[in-house]
Amino acid sequence: MFLFNYRYRLKCILRDRQLMFWTLLFPILLATLFNLALSNITTAEEFIKVPVAVVENDQLDANPAFTTALEGTDELFAVQYTTRAEAEALLNDNQISGYIVFEPDLNLVVNQSGLNQTIIRGFLDDFLQSSATIVTVITENPTALDNGIVAGVSSRSEYLTEVSASQSNPDPIVNYFYTLIAMTCLYGGFLGLKEVVAIQADLSDVGARINLAPTNKLTVFMSSMLAATTIQLAELLILLAFIIGVLGISFGNQLGYIALTCVIGSLTGVTFGAFIASVIKKGEGFLTGILIASTMTMCFLAGMMYADMKYIVTTKIPILAYLNPANLITDSFYALYYYTSHTQFFTDILLLCGFIIVFSAITYFVLRRQKYASL
Amino acid sequence: MVINVKNLVKRYGDLIALDHFNLEVQEGEILGLLGPNGSGKTTAINCILSLLKYDKGTIEIFDQPMSPDAYDIKRDVGIVMQNVAVFEELTVYENIDYFCGLYIADRQTRKKRVAEAIDFVGLNDFIKFFPKKLSGGLLRRLNIACGIAHQPKLIILDEPTVAVDPQSRNNILEGIQKLNRQGATIIYTSHYMEEVEQIASRIAIMDKGKIIAMGTNEELKKKIKSGEHINLELLNPEDLDLEAIKALPHIISAELTDHQLVVKSGRDKNNLIAILDHLKDQNIAIGKIYSEPPTLNDVFLEITGKELRD
Ligand SMILES: Nc1ncnc2c1ncn2[C@@H]1O[C@H](COP(=O)(O)OP(=O)(O)OP(=O)(O)O)[C@@H](O)[C@H]1O
Ligand SMILES: [Mg+2]
Repeated sequence: MFLFNYRYRLKCILRDRQLMFWTLLFPILLATLFNLALSNITTAEEFIKVPVAVVENDQLDANPAFTTALEGTDELFAVQYTTRAEAEALLNDNQISGYIVFEPDLNLVVNQSGLNQTIIRGFLDDFLQSSATIVTVITENPTALDNGIVAGVSSRSEYLTEVSASQSNPDPIVNYFYTLIAMTCLYGGFLGLKEVVAIQADLSDVGARINLAPTNKLTVFMSSMLAATTIQLAELLILLAFIIGVLGISFGNQLGYIALTCVIGSLTGVTFGAFIASVIKKGEGFLTGILIASTMTMCFLAGMMYADMKYIVTTKIPILAYLNPANLITDSFYALYYYTSHTQFFTDILLLCGFIIVFSAITYFVLRRQKYASL
Repeated sequence: MVINVKNLVKRYGDLIALDHFNLEVQEGEILGLLGPNGSGKTTAINCILSLLKYDKGTIEIFDQPMSPDAYDIKRDVGIVMQNVAVFEELTVYENIDYFCGLYIADRQTRKKRVAEAIDFVGLNDFIKFFPKKLSGGLLRRLNIACGIAHQPKLIILDEPTVAVDPQSRNNILEGIQKLNRQGATIIYTSHYMEEVEQIASRIAIMDKGKIIAMGTNEELKKKIKSGEHINLELLNPEDLDLEAIKALPHIISAELTDHQLVVKSGRDKNNLIAILDHLKDQNIAIGKIYSEPPTLNDVFLEITGKELRD
């Protein structure tokens, strides 16, 4: 039964031309367009490094580890060493995105929030995290220094250098492809929606037939959802292969994490579509409309059309950023892209898993009801 | 008993779609469920099948209480719904195979049953067609095949001939009788009395969520007062005294439209001679004369006071 239904559902999805267009062809077309439109930009002007100033004072001299760490990121930052007054002036003239000063704690001074500021903060967070480890190790075990235990941690500069070097060169174009992949993940909603419609007697006539058959509806549904997820992952694989193989965009060695994000993102998309179809009792056209509208709103708030939107939401209404699956997907890509540690990445992934569970649970409770109040 | 429904009540908000609906169906019969649009036929079927929640009543199929997970009952029931329910993305063959597969897991058996169903509805030339490419009649036949391929003991057909041309309609009706001869019990809903008269061994007439009369075609017609309809074509109708005709004994009604006089008389009281005498006295020339037996419409009209078809 499970396999029987699975095979037929694969057929039904693959033969649904409109669905295949939106979930496969459309993202590929967009990727091609992005590539055409953006290829000139990168060749003409390199990735613009984040301009940042570091205030020279005694505390800075006392922290040579920081200077070394910073030097290891010359791909990312254009650093100037200045006095505090000069840094302030540069910031006011918008010559730099922010300046870093030890007084005596590490401080970041900015006058607006945006992508560049987040990049600097990400670097500082990384640095503080590992220097905090050093401090703890040293206070708790003073002999550690002599024993070389700290060597691994204190060779911070190496660690950072290695990571940044192994990461793909910062390339703003990649971001457009990340958002595109996030959108494609959420378009998996169309597939989830189709499966719920096909099985609910109050949403489709074939649904009534399935409800009348001597089979467990939830078994049929699980197999349908598996078929939807299979197709969705295959589509993402094709999209990734196209972006990497045909368009020649490199995602560096983050591919494993990108794949994980794609799987989790796809599940979020598919279960979101199923959730919409199970809670709203309207025709398929209306449901599709709702799905497109909500997906687009989420993508907009995640900065897909207007990049600064993401930062406005994150700073003004942070809760909204965490409640927006589209934002979580793009955010996990950003985290991969800008941060050397994966804390942010896994936070996003965990939150997405939360959404998957909530969407699935609600869908389950609706589908479990066996009789309909009206057809 | 194949189906036993007692006191079924179903409300949609304030509307009472089924009002203490009772139905008994015996093995081997073709029960015609006849009722005008909106009388509750589909609602009754969907409740019986445990698709719809209902407010009151008990439903037994094959002498067992029906419920959504009564799989033993469901295995032996086939449904042809009022709306065509097939997947647009699957071919004729695949559709039948899919729905049959929900009942029959064994591939060999299924293959045989699907082939038989295709033969039965005569879709052999169309097995690779997608539903979009089928004409209305062919689509209805596919809908039927999907419902009966697993060879159920009880087949419920909800207006399977809506929007089908007379030729296909006859094919379908003959097919249903054939299924019945092969041993299936049939429930057939329709708002066409001719269809029901043609195939049903027993007829239940429904109105406003209730069965208002039940019996064989003859039994139903015996229940009412009126007998045959006498149709007379009058050449000079302007000379007719309609009231005088109505005043004749045993005449229930008399109506004149243009040249056509329709007289309904009481059952078994053939008044043709009296009418003819009367017309002769009035010097009215007569063209054609013919008489029709009463129809189910008369039954419906007499019980409810309104026409079955409006
Ligand atoms: N989902 C619903 N919500 C509200 N009222 C409904 C619903 N479905 C049916 N009804 C009402 O219930 C009554 C019975 O409808 P039903 O479809 O059972 O009639 P029917 O005899 O099958 O008619 P038809 O010959 O047109 O198919 C009608 O008055 C209809 O308007
Ligand atoms: Mg109906």
